[in-house]
Amino acid sequence: MSFLIAQSLINGVILGTLYLMMAIGFTLVFGIMRIVNFAHGEFYMIGAFMALIGVTWLGLPYAATLALTVVFAVLLGALVERVVFRPFRSDELSGMIASLGLAMILQNGALIFFGPDPQAFPAMVSGVLRFGDLIIPKSRALTLGIGVVVLIGFYVLLMHTRFGRGLRALVQDQQVAALYGVRLEIMYPLGLGLGIALAAVAGALMAPLFGVSPFIGAAPLLKAFIVVILGGLGSIPGAALAALLLGLIESFTSSFVSASAADIVTFALVVAVLLIRPSGILGRGEA
Amino acid sequence: MKSRTILAAASVLALLAGNAAAQEQTLKIGALVTQSGAGASWGNGMLRAAELAAEDANKDGGLEVAGTKYKVEVIAYDDAYKANEAVTAANRLVFEDKVKYIIGTVGSAPILAIQPITEEAGVITLTLGFTAKALSADKPYTFRPNPTTAEVAQPQIDWLVASQKIKTVGALFPNDETGEAIAKDIGAAYKKAGAELTATEFFERDRVDFIPLLTRIVAQGVDAIELDGNSPVTAGQIVQQARDIGFEGVIIRTGGPATQEIVNVAGKQATEGMFVHSAFNPAVETAAAYQKRYSDTYGEAMNGFSPFFYDGTKMLFQAMKDAGTVEDTAAVKTALENISGYEGVLGTLNWTGKDAYGIAHQLDSPFYIARVEDGNEVIVASCTTAGCK
Repeated sequence: MSFLIAQSLINGVILGTLYLMMAIGFTLVFGIMRIVNFAHGEFYMIGAFMALIGVTWLGLPYAATLALTVVFAVLLGALVERVVFRPFRSDELSGMIASLGLAMILQNGALIFFGPDPQAFPAMVSGVLRFGDLIIPKSRALTLGIGVVVLIGFYVLLMHTRFGRGLRALVQDQQVAALYGVRLEIMYPLGLGLGIALAAVAGALMAPLFGVSPFIGAAPLLKAFIVVILGGLGSIPGAALAALLLGLIESFTSSFVSASAADIVTFALVVAVLLIRPSGILGRGEA
Repeated sequence: MKSRTILAAASVLALLAGNAAAQEQTLKIGALVTQSGAGASWGNGMLRAAELAAEDANKDGGLEVAGTKYKVEVIAYDDAYKANEAVTAANRLVFEDKVKYIIGTVGSAPILAIQPITEEAGVITLTLGFTAKALSADKPYTFRPNPTTAEVAQPQIDWLVASQKIKTVGALFPNDETGEAIAKDIGAAYKKAGAELTATEFFERDRVDFIPLLTRIVAQGVDAIELDGNSPVTAGQIVQQARDIGFEGVIIRTGGPATQEIVNVAGKQATEGMFVHSAFNPAVETAAAYQKRYSDTYGEAMNGFSPFFYDGTKMLFQAMKDAGTVEDTAAVKTALENISGYEGVLGTLNWTGKDAYGIAHQLDSPFYIARVEDGNEVIVASCTTAGCK
């Protein structure tokens, strides 16, 4: 029994980290742009395909592929901001609908270009790490390790750089931020690019674990949604807490009850949080 | 005078030509298959089977039935493995496109959902759906041109349990009609063979992370993991993740040819030594030729179900010829039932199932057990419904 508890704990933390990367990008884009980005899951999918192209088509090392994915995703994000989202900057509903349209374009574009069949992704590492009875697949340990590094890098960027301060100011109040010299024309595209890059890196990291196909974006988008609702839209510490919680709940309920029960518990929790704290566990509520 | 003759001759020619054009008609065949999501590799295998069979028929100027040549046209719709989408597509096929023959569906829930429409309209369906409920005496227009778990499970499981000394088995199934049906069949088959299905898990079909479920199964110390009932992609993910958490026992896939896709997803290392059901023996020349034609045409490895639907579609064409009509589906249905000893690409094919389903609309064909070595199937036993050796 203790084996199962410890194993579930490890599985839950790994899952939580993966969800967190999706959710932070999602909540960042909302904080900056005030847009619920339904295309977020498709950027995860694009990241996974980028990794596939880099590793299997071009034969690049995985690390180089990840770096290229980030660069490409930031540029793509900036382009999307300029072409799709800029006209809807102060219009949440239209922006949301535009993001839905973007999601469909991206998914069907991938479908036309790559076909519907899932693509094989070579394992980056194989084997397991054993600590007594406990087993961690090396592939997941690698994903977890890189995920944590990316998240720490993101945290430092956001909290300890001029750019990060600008972004945070923008999240709090865009007019005041602009008055204090935050350059909106640079911050908007870069902010969106950064959010999208987090989704793309998550996709590239999970590709060796879960495979690549044009349809893989939907599930992580849903998880990001749940995490963000639980944690409070726009709150990054809230997202971190909620992602870990969600990962652990899923892992423990799946291991001790059943997979279907995990979904029931997750959504029951979402409903409960919405009823008791509509702004989320650490959300501040709408001003 | 001379110009008049020419004019008359021309008009006679025109009449003749017009007549010839009227003689060539179009026969529309619906393909209601899964083209997106987890079941897409099966659906594409079926659709392409229908396309290749149509290509054969059109090669000699069309399918000749009672003196009329019909150009066969395949109209495809995607059901995304979902019952509600299948119903929408079936309505379009039956009432707008006016087809009388449908290749599909892939899934069990979709075929059960469209049968009220197709049976009512007398539309002949060739389904892959593994549920026992798909075939019954009150559904005379539904045929299944592929063997299912019910046909192949017992002999294979008997052989595997004995040869691999398996006592306990774990399995994961999707929590829908297909999964429930297969879980029941497989559980009974292992019991009969002297082993026990000790750990079963049900999950949502779009799930990709199986580690929590596998952790529970592996913690119970099972000798083998059974993959039957899962789509090729899901099966591949289960294999990869089971090996990821250090499972070293036997991995078995009793039904549903999917080896190529599983190897693609899980990799050669994780699939080494896996036992799989195979309907395909590369030593059978016609089968190998079909496989080559498929991969040459579509640039992809052939899905194992494809040859069944190629043969099934050709049997359907044969039945139309025998019945002398493409319109009267009752007559075509009877002619299809009466086909026996059909030489298909996979071997000699017959209809069976009177005892199991109450109607002999189930295909009976030879099958094999293969071991995966370096990503390829190596046949280790040849089977009939009587047993494997």
